[in-house]
Amino acid sequence: MSGHEQEPVVSIRDASFNYNGKPALAGVSFDVHAGEAVSLIGPNGAGKSTLLAGVLGTVRHRAARFVVPTKPGSVGLLPQHQGVDRDFPVSLEQVVMMGRVPKRGFLWPSRDDRHAVREALATVRLTEQRKQRFGELSGGQRQRGLLARAIAAGPSLLLLDEPFNGLDSESRDTLLDIVRRLKVEGVAMIITTHDLDLAKSATEKTLLVNGEQIAFDETDCVLTLEQVQRTFDREAVEIDGHTLTTAEHHASEHPHHGHETERAETETG
Amino acid sequence: MTDLLDAFQLPFMLRALVTLLVLAAAAGTVGVMINLRRLEFLTDGLTHAVFPGLVLGFLAAGEPGLLPGALVIALLSSVLLTLLQRRGIGDQSLIAILLTAFFSIGVILVSTQQGYSGQLSEMLFGRLLSITDSQITITSVLVALAVLAVTVTWRQQVFRAFDAGGARASGLRSALLDSVLNGAVVLVVVAASAAVGTLLVLAVLIVPGAAARLVVPRIGGAVLVATAFAAVTSVLGLMFAWQLSMDLDVQAAPGGVVALTMIAVYLLFLAVYALVPRFGRR
Repeated sequence: MSGHEQEPVVSIRDASFNYNGKPALAGVSFDVHAGEAVSLIGPNGAGKSTLLAGVLGTVRHRAARFVVPTKPGSVGLLPQHQGVDRDFPVSLEQVVMMGRVPKRGFLWPSRDDRHAVREALATVRLTEQRKQRFGELSGGQRQRGLLARAIAAGPSLLLLDEPFNGLDSESRDTLLDIVRRLKVEGVAMIITTHDLDLAKSATEKTLLVNGEQIAFDETDCVLTLEQVQRTFDREAVEIDGHTLTTAEHHASEHPHHGHETERAETETG
Repeated sequence: MTDLLDAFQLPFMLRALVTLLVLAAAAGTVGVMINLRRLEFLTDGLTHAVFPGLVLGFLAAGEPGLLPGALVIALLSSVLLTLLQRRGIGDQSLIAILLTAFFSIGVILVSTQQGYSGQLSEMLFGRLLSITDSQITITSVLVALAVLAVTVTWRQQVFRAFDAGGARASGLRSALLDSVLNGAVVLVVVAASAAVGTLLVLAVLIVPGAAARLVVPRIGGAVLVATAFAAVTSVLGLMFAWQLSMDLDVQAAPGGVVALTMIAVYLLFLAVYALVPRFGRR
């Protein structure tokens, strides 16, 4: 991977964020370098979305150091909820072109814009569907379409909010593949997830939060039983071989859990 | 048929037609954006609010007072309605009560005048057949400004309409975009209500856009269809009004006839859309 000689894309020291006037997250310090992906892990209400909003600039912060990309289109977001009107009369291609709007201002699309849209659609493997109405696509395709919109802007940082939630295994593999490809292209990423397996396979570093920062380091070092239990308030953390997985992930995506699994307490105790 | 075409050679019919064609341009741009942003209620509110402005302007200065009166009240109520909506107190019943109040004030003001019913009809449906050249000029300039404002910000407006959160996250200034769009609606409402009355403005801004959404799956097509819809139904409506007057000797307010024609064709679109599965946006 990169040797980190370059300046990090994101560099934050001792940041705190308020949400609706109340403290939501404090003591946050981490860096993200080009071509590096960071998992952002914590229970619901831990402040993950607030942190993403803080990086985007839609939530205020106080910090000793707060470096994030600020040029129009330099931070891409894949939102968790696709709050879009399925009847809206736009094609997938037009939605991806929206990603170019912040850079173009009031100008109409140029050849460069159309090229960027084609590339982004190819990256998310939706070239064939480009003329379809956005609302007609499947849930996974719509998600990749919105990811293409974020990529089309040519961002140096991508924020993916629970991108793997509700995906079937094929869509999940495709998305993992896209994440790897984007890293090779030098895009920095922050990915929120409940899924520790995915964190291990897709991201170099992990930031654990629960109202405050619990840990930030290489993913393998951070995802220890003790840290994860602290983050999730000791809520039924399980060990699957050497892999840690949180109860939330299992409850939502693996209702029939394998019988080899032992309770964390038994293994450690 | 030739009689009908000859009718448009009469100066007052021609002026009515030109005014309606100018408004068709607004239907295709401002109207489609109202539909995409679901601002029909706000637009309805503005047209109601403009009504007492027209009356006050007319009472203060006669015919030349219509436009300034409408403009002042429209700007005030646009700011008020936008604030209510942004603060989340824009609960629909509150806005509805406010607008009924505005409208009632207008009606009471008109009713104090002699020849009350005729004047009320003119305020509501305008004087389509007695539009002056200077009114056409003013209407055209204000509508052109509104169309320009919406066209220049078009792609950003579409982004905001499609995905407000995404647009905000990518740095688009939604407050600015809202102000531009609301301002454009105000311009069209004011420009047109002095000439064609408040109810016809509402029909022109809302019906063609809604009809286009029924039959066209893409925004570009919706702009063309809404413009054509407004133009064609305006011509048809004027022809009906002419025929009612000539053949049946019924002096129906032409603005009302045009508005009803638009709605009748819209219902036709709706019926075809419901009955023919492959027709339209699917």
